[in-house]
Amino acid sequence: MDVRSQISMVFHLDKCIGCHTCSIACKNVWTDRKGTEYMWWNNVETKPGTGFPTKWEDQREYRGGWELDEDGNLRLKSTSRARIVPNIFHNPHMPSMDDYYEPWTYKYEDLFNAPEGDDQPTAIPISKVTGNPMSIEAGPNWDDDLGGSPVYAANDPNLEGLTPQEREQLFAIERLVFFYFPRICNHCLNPSCVASCPSGALYKRGEDGIVLIDQKVCRAWRSCVAACPYKKTYFNWQTGKSEKCILCFPRLETGQAPACFHSCVGRIRYLGVMLYDAERIEEVAKLPPEQMIEAQRDMLLDPNDPDVIRQARANGVHDSVIEAAQRSPVYQFVKLWKIALPPHIEWRTLPMLFYVPPLLPVMSRREGETIASTTDSFFHPVEQARAPMSYLASLLGGGNTGHVTYALRKQMAVRLYRRSRTVGDVDEAVLADVLREADTTEAECEAIYRLTALCTFDERFVIPPAHREEAIEMMKEPHEHRQSAGFGFLAGPRRGS
Amino acid sequence: MTTLHRTLIAAALLAGLVATSRPAAARDPVADDFRQSCSSCHTIGGGRLTGPDLKGVGERRDPEWLIRFVLDPGAVIDAGDPTALELLATHNNVRMPAVAGMTRARAEALLALVARESQLDKSQFQGLAMSTRPFTPADVARGRELFLGTASLANGGGSCMSCHACGQLPLAGGGRLGPDLTKVFERYADRKTLGAWLSAPATPTMAPTFRDRPLEVETEVLPLVAFFEHASRTAQEEQGRTPLTLFFLLSAACTGALLALGGRVWGRRFRAVRRPLVRAASWSGRGRGPAPSERSSS
Repeated sequence: MDVRSQISMVFHLDKCIGCHTCSIACKNVWTDRKGTEYMWWNNVETKPGTGFPTKWEDQREYRGGWELDEDGNLRLKSTSRARIVPNIFHNPHMPSMDDYYEPWTYKYEDLFNAPEGDDQPTAIPISKVTGNPMSIEAGPNWDDDLGGSPVYAANDPNLEGLTPQEREQLFAIERLVFFYFPRICNHCLNPSCVASCPSGALYKRGEDGIVLIDQKVCRAWRSCVAACPYKKTYFNWQTGKSEKCILCFPRLETGQAPACFHSCVGRIRYLGVMLYDAERIEEVAKLPPEQMIEAQRDMLLDPNDPDVIRQARANGVHDSVIEAAQRSPVYQFVKLWKIALPPHIEWRTLPMLFYVPPLLPVMSRREGETIASTTDSFFHPVEQARAPMSYLASLLGGGNTGHVTYALRKQMAVRLYRRSRTVGDVDEAVLADVLREADTTEAECEAIYRLTALCTFDERFVIPPAHREEAIEMMKEPHEHRQSAGFGFLAGPRRGS
Repeated sequence: MTTLHRTLIAAALLAGLVATSRPAAARDPVADDFRQSCSSCHTIGGGRLTGPDLKGVGERRDPEWLIRFVLDPGAVIDAGDPTALELLATHNNVRMPAVAGMTRARAEALLALVARESQLDKSQFQGLAMSTRPFTPADVARGRELFLGTASLANGGGSCMSCHACGQLPLAGGGRLGPDLTKVFERYADRKTLGAWLSAPATPTMAPTFRDRPLEVETEVLPLVAFFEHASRTAQEEQGRTPLTLFFLLSAACTGALLALGGRVWGRRFRAVRRPLVRAASWSGRGRGPAPSERSSS
């Protein structure tokens, strides 16, 4: 057992209102520099939809993530020793600027400087790359309102496994289904971006598992852009370096939640530290996709287990980190309650950002003067949810509907339990049946309810102390570092250095 | 290849060959000089070839004029000398080339030799004694082999194709250093003249090459003349399909083949994702409301 710690996240999709506050918070903090205009380290997508960049989930196009070779070993889909030489100047499967979008602003001064005339002056769009007038064809959330248009929503790769009836229902007028899907870097346990970098610029921080790109080492190969199946590394065309979500590590190190977590209006985001067994990464990443969710959950360790604590200490994990892991909300969602699931685990990167699948309201529509519903009871059966189980399973279940159904059934049980407590019109016998079917107890329902609906700031974000002094100690004498840090010249990243 | 290159190569060949050929020219240097430099166009008492018969030329012309003309024929013609212009007109407008390395002493020696030989009844420079039998297809085939270099020349000369093109040759055709020889038989008008030229080529490039490696008259000159005669005849029949057009056709075919191969290898490469989606949707959505790109967006 090789116990390590990892900062891990849970996004509760049932609570996301798609307001994009997280995206704007991130953009204002990190990516409003020249060359980063098109980057959205945090973005919110409408599902079904093709997302950003367009169809990022289609790995037949982008070839991100890992696959198993003939001998059952892991290999990158994007490149190999043989393929890197003929493609040395250009990674063939990268999204083009059009697949992201050409960033633009408007020529606002025209509104003030236009000569007097019969027409109202307008501000024309100007490309932020070339500075020339342009016609806007796409954006990071293009055309995805209310489930999106036939162009974008209908091409969601997750829809491939659906029957034609299910598809038709998904997009039928007054029945259409959509939910929001906020995305940041997953800070994977088996990151393909790190594996692909020819310069060795990417690394996974030992103390908290945050995946970073060293701006001094990056040499613009862009292998990480091609290799990341979530397309969460971006190339800065100004500095000639790739950049990605840094999980606001300067904020984490000072005990603050990352900007997107902190600003989240729906309070859908949870952050905490997890202990895991690094020895099992390769073994789990090689499993068939339908077994991987269970295996990854198994790889995450119980921070209260004395054996785990002993091994963690032996590996240099600080007691305060172990203590934070014991209070981690992520541990409860993922390991105890099993209602948070990793996105697209079949790409074998073992993402450490988990999603609670959305429990969409019962389907009802107006028929003449009455409201027609698909079910007689107040809470409909999970199987009749408007989003087909196979769709959610493709996104969050590794193709296995069991995990998604389990998570939704448990959430439904929590609602029924709360109704019985607040309204009191639920028969105790029925409640007991539902709880048993959902593999839960009243105590667990209460805990889920509290962490979902009544959670405080400190319950949502259990940030372990960064212990920078320990990290520094490994590299150099801390007192010497203290005397030299913060003195000298700062040079920003630029091409050729 | 630039003119400079050609000159340099010719000079290099010349220097090397002159150096090795000294001992061979021991008998009568002036006669040898005439044979190599003059006999390809002139006879002494053997009738007219490309240039006039030189028998008794010393009596017909002013000696000083002769020396001036031999030293630099082009200058005399360009100066508008009436005798020279008349000669040019009567000789098919072929200008006598300047002989490389001609000096006044050498010209005088050569003219003295012409005067001496003119006295004889039967000069040794009466022209090439080549058989006058009609050419056979075997001659043409042999000539073609010699031209292509598949049969080597007895005295070790280089094959014609190294520097010349002629009619339709396999692959990329002949060399481009010397002129195209397809119509050479027509230009020289008869086999005797062409044969005489071949027996002692006098151009600055060919002279040093073939000075010590002359062609055998019956077994090499005759088949080559037969080949050139045949080439000139067939070229008239197949006008328009010169090796150059074949070369371009071949290039176009190879380019096409390479492009097809490239298309096969890289045809399914990653191009774009979003644009094809939009295009496909706008096609299938024709006639059903506004195109997707015209709808409102977020």
